Amino acid sequence: MGNGVQIQSTHLGKASIQIPAGSNRNVVKVLLETDKNAGISAITGLDLGEKIGLMYHVRTNGVIVTISTELPKDNPQIPSITDLIPGANFHEREVADLFGVIFQGHPNPGRLVLPEDWPENLYPLRKDAKIDELTTRPATSSFSKGAVQSEAESKLVNIFVGPQHPALLEPEKFSVKVDGEIVKAVEPRIGYVHRGVEKASEQRTYLQDVYLVERICGICNSCHASCFVETVEKILGTEVPPRGKYLRTIILELNRLHSHLLLLGHAGLEIGYETLFQYMWRDREPIMDLTELLTGNRVIASSLTVGGVRRDLKETDVPKIKTQLVILRKRMDFYQNLFNSEPSLRMRTRNVGTLSKEDALKLCVVGPVARASGVNMDVRKDEPYEAYGEIPFKLITRSEGDTYARLMVRLDEVTESINIIEYALDHLPEGPYRVKVPRVVVAGEAVSRVEAPRGELFYYVKSNGTAYPERVKVRTPTFANIPAFLKTAIGGSIADVPANFVSLDPCFSCTDR
Amino acid sequence: MTSISTRLANKVTWARLKSPWVLHFNSGACNGCDIEIVALLTPRYDVERFGIKLEPSPRHADVLLTTGVVTTQCAERLKRIYDQMPQPKFVVAIGACACSGGVFKGNYTVTGGVDKVIPVNAYIPGCPPKPEAIIDGIVKLLNSLKEAKPDDSK
Repeated sequence: MGNGVQIQSTHLGKASIQIPAGSNRNVVKVLLETDKNAGISAITGLDLGEKIGLMYHVRTNGVIVTISTELPKDNPQIPSITDLIPGANFHEREVADLFGVIFQGHPNPGRLVLPEDWPENLYPLRKDAKIDELTTRPATSSFSKGAVQSEAESKLVNIFVGPQHPALLEPEKFSVKVDGEIVKAVEPRIGYVHRGVEKASEQRTYLQDVYLVERICGICNSCHASCFVETVEKILGTEVPPRGKYLRTIILELNRLHSHLLLLGHAGLEIGYETLFQYMWRDREPIMDLTELLTGNRVIASSLTVGGVRRDLKETDVPKIKTQLVILRKRMDFYQNLFNSEPSLRMRTRNVGTLSKEDALKLCVVGPVARASGVNMDVRKDEPYEAYGEIPFKLITRSEGDTYARLMVRLDEVTESINIIEYALDHLPEGPYRVKVPRVVVAGEAVSRVEAPRGELFYYVKSNGTAYPERVKVRTPTFANIPAFLKTAIGGSIADVPANFVSLDPCFSCTDR
Repeated sequence: MTSISTRLANKVTWARLKSPWVLHFNSGACNGCDIEIVALLTPRYDVERFGIKLEPSPRHADVLLTTGVVTTQCAERLKRIYDQMPQPKFVVAIGACACSGGVFKGNYTVTGGVDKVIPVNAYIPGCPPKPEAIIDGIVKLLNSLKEAKPDDSK
């Protein structure tokens, strides 16, 4: 791998490699060649005072290997790895936005999450960034100016979707360039929901941060909480009692159930099948009731905490949960039948937005999107967390890679989730559900992964020995999956864009943070 | 005998109360409030029985339901959408973030609650508020409209 390389085993994944800045390309290349399913999970920037730290978290053989390097703060430059692995594109742009690292040779550098009119040379996640100046910044126009178009491009019609659009629940803008009916290019403009959560988490205690990170995304809130508390527990060396682990697993699977049903219904709406939407959402309501029963709230559960869960499950509630799951299982049989036999549904989704396995690996997509393209990838199997190592369940994959496959993977996962919850309820261990943990966290750093409904969720936390974290990095599944849409939409019909897009289960509050 | 214009105004108020068309805009929410708004439209809560209809275009909407904290990038869009709505128009801020900024208050890309950008007629707190609470808020707003004259709205 070259000179000056040190390999250690830490909480930063299976191994942590310290390298000099110039050899990042070689080391990443070597690691990517060890496994044909390898990809990049995240790139983390860090303010080390005099220097900028940079970490490449590479996913290889189902585990994370972290490559760290340091750059001088006044001129942080490093060769880009986007040509080695195209999935690194957005990760590098994000670090460039927030830390001012220049990636030499990046194909399309530019703003990603910050507004277009953000001041130059102001990098919000650097410790010396002037926060007061930022908050009193006058709100000026941030409409992006039209780029210079080539002659071939100017013949295309530009269709803007968003920021306010009935098909999008969230404010994001996509400009779709079409030639007649055929999509030629898609340009995303994300960052409308960028709320600066990573910076805010440095100003709050670990306990407060649990509530903050839950509010990154209202749909997969427990997954965010779970990933964060696991990372902190790794630094602390806390072992959660078995009952706590099982209760967490049940909450996480309820989260997955409601998220998948939500998406399947939403997909129905986007393909013009509103009955499916209404049916799915009706069947989702009992899951919301169960979440309320278990955690006290329908949506944001706020049930997980460092050291366990905040509420125990009452013995009398177990039959109530089981009864609802039996009803839902029957309904899932109905939907299986519907998805397999309904011609209009198949016509709108079959062979739409097909993502090949090679492209899925190159773009480093995660979760159901990757599994629908035949990539065997699930954090619950690769690196079991909570109680998943003890619970038998099936990994769902399909080979088609089209919109239909992505929806079917989720439909089958709903049944698996029901199995997991039933198994966890039957094997719920006795004993405490929470242990006491100190408020001040010892110095250290750790990474953690959780399989959220949309795919692999990644957290990096660095502690400096106080009650406040030094750095919290969040890489959400949709952030990794958007490149898949930008790739598969091209060449398809404009009418297929909504169905293709929604099959990724996009969540921009996650993406932008 | 009441004049024709008064009778017409009464008729319009009656129509507005019986069928308020709402527009939903997320100015930087976590999706928690948004999925509860969508839940309102689905069979268990079904607000269409009150004549409430979700409308995709600001130009046809009477009530603007806003969710989430207002990010600096969205502030201008929110103002624009509000300006596009016809008079009289009403704004309902849904959730803790829309009411005051919530947990995101003071962050570097956050402007604050919705009332920092546009006038708000009703606040529905909660994180997220339950669908029942949202229905209650909208019904309270409608009741207050009974007395309102067209130029009352801000």
